[in-house]
Amino acid sequence: MSSSLTTTAADPEAHLAGKVVRERHTLNVPLNRVEGDLAIRVQIEDGVVVDAWSCGTMFRGIENILIGRGALDGLVITPRVCGICSTAHLVAAARALNAISRVEPPPDAVRIQNVALAVEMVQSDVRQTMLMYLPDFANPAYESRPFHETAVHRYAPMKGSSAIESIRWSKRLLEIVAILGGQWPHSSYMVPGGVVTVPSAADLLQCRSLLAGFRRWYERQVLGCPLERWHQVRSRADLDSWLEERPAHRESDLGFFLQVARVLGLEQLGRGHANLLCVGGFPLPPDCAVPCPRPGGAELMPPGFYRRLEQAPFDQTRVEEHVKHSWYVDYPGGRHPSAGETRPYASGDEGGKYSWAKAPRYDGQPAETGPLAELLSMRDPLTLELVAEPGVTAFTRQLARLTRPAVLLPVLETWLAEIPPDATCYVPGARLETGVGIGLTEATRGALGHWVEIAHGRIVSYQIVTPTAWNGSPRDASDVRGPWEEALVGTPVGNPANPVELGHVVRSFDPCLVCTVHALGKGRGAGPWTL
Amino acid sequence: MGGRRIICVGNRYVPRDAAGPHVLEHLARCELPEGVELIDGGLAGLDLLRFVDGAERVVFVDALDTEDQAAGVQVTSPAELSGAAPPAYGHGAGLAYLLAVLPEVCDRPLPPVHVVGVAGPAGARVIRDAADTALRLVQQSAPAARRSSPGCG
Repeated sequence: MSSSLTTTAADPEAHLAGKVVRERHTLNVPLNRVEGDLAIRVQIEDGVVVDAWSCGTMFRGIENILIGRGALDGLVITPRVCGICSTAHLVAAARALNAISRVEPPPDAVRIQNVALAVEMVQSDVRQTMLMYLPDFANPAYESRPFHETAVHRYAPMKGSSAIESIRWSKRLLEIVAILGGQWPHSSYMVPGGVVTVPSAADLLQCRSLLAGFRRWYERQVLGCPLERWHQVRSRADLDSWLEERPAHRESDLGFFLQVARVLGLEQLGRGHANLLCVGGFPLPPDCAVPCPRPGGAELMPPGFYRRLEQAPFDQTRVEEHVKHSWYVDYPGGRHPSAGETRPYASGDEGGKYSWAKAPRYDGQPAETGPLAELLSMRDPLTLELVAEPGVTAFTRQLARLTRPAVLLPVLETWLAEIPPDATCYVPGARLETGVGIGLTEATRGALGHWVEIAHGRIVSYQIVTPTAWNGSPRDASDVRGPWEEALVGTPVGNPANPVELGHVVRSFDPCLVCTVHALGKGRGAGPWTL
Repeated sequence: MGGRRIICVGNRYVPRDAAGPHVLEHLARCELPEGVELIDGGLAGLDLLRFVDGAERVVFVDALDTEDQAAGVQVTSPAELSGAAPPAYGHGAGLAYLLAVLPEVCDRPLPPVHVVGVAGPAGARVIRDAADTALRLVQQSAPAARRSSPGCG
């Protein structure tokens, strides 16, 4: 991680306020391993972050591309929003059109959609952890720490043992999506009324075999124990006992994370606003053996809005997007996505507008989203206890992401076992002529929403609110920071030239901004060829 | 999965990154030799791994950003590109990252892999040259009966 650094003298205003600032830095942190399209700027006083700005550096524009196109075109175009969570966009796009087509996909189509979406989440969780989060433990800043050698051995880029194995196994797991959807990523096999695939007995057998192999690897390397043993960990005391129980637990990736997180104090980093949002994910067919974690619920991950442990029902009409600090034409306050617009406006007002990401707000408040909100919504006992203490921190976020596969893998097995070879996968709905649809789902990084309006068979309005827009939003109309901007405030930075602590915080949100440009390059950098 | 594959990568909406998709379109109009598969790699990066693992031979076609800006087709190997990989994985990790990890992550023996780079403006002649080069490379060591010259519409 490299950063540009500006050092200024002590602030006269701070002196007047009775506050003595000995040293001030402003850092521009590209955070390349997070995402090439994300830049973080922080202000540091006396070694602690006192303010932060999150800048999405690329204009997406998919919404504008969709205007005037055929009603079904969102099924092909919106999965291109992201190469990591394209299935989630397809689910949201199809679900929005279900509403307009007044059709309910048959139960086995729902299972197939759920399987593909859960596979996408699981593969991303292990890649994010092994390839993006844990490599920070191998940062030169920790060279003198006892854990550093192990971290380098396991997570060094392109050669760490856990990093390489995570690529091998996530590749195999993704073949399930390719079997069900014809390709990965950017599949388009989900449609209003279901899916256009009927997996054969051989297809399903292959999917189950791939899943079983992945589960064995996840248990052996990531957890160091069978899923059943991990599911017995229901409290902080259980977690501590589990870690002490066997060498295999301590030597697993999870065990290593827990031990290093304790040493580095991740439980105290990245607290943020502590508002969490889950829009609901994985509808459960009525004849499904997977129980809803909440009585009367209809989804594996029930929707809800949380202020730490205080729960409120989720109501999509309370979602708004603000653009005061985003490079779009201004409007007062916020707008519901159904009334939203995407009119780029790169102002010369330096510092006022600073991101291509809009600022989604729920009930007027910033909210973070992702696995932690999902496990909270599922009333996972360990998550409930950790959110109470130490709270919503880098540690609880990353622990939730690392262990979400332990929740999803058994459910995946059940869904795959329930799909018969001759499944009914599609029922026709009404013609997509005119109407309004909303597609909500939990995606890999959390809450995803598509709001679409169709008139005379054409798209007249399409607005997408992604999980990273929630997590990485800039300030809103009231100048309130976005979730990871707020989470950065208070972070100690030992060395401004290598601010690894900022990575621990921001990467705990698993940022993902759109990647659309790349080219091979020659003649720059250390080698003869560079990107 | 077997087979010989030409995988074209890039972004058709960004002119300096559009060479791969242009070569793809050119080859899609051609009658490909038996056993050669044409794949639109888009911006998939690491997710292209499953098209390499188990293949008989693979040729990637991508835009090449060079210092001298000389237009033309340049053939290189994954080893030559080893210095091009980003220092660490990111969602934007592209072809160079994939090529760097290939020897470690393939389940089956690593097939011969070539990279056809298109430098400078991707005009019609350059695209045709890149397509011809990709076809020549992908047919290397193929049984004579399977080799053929493409017929393009």
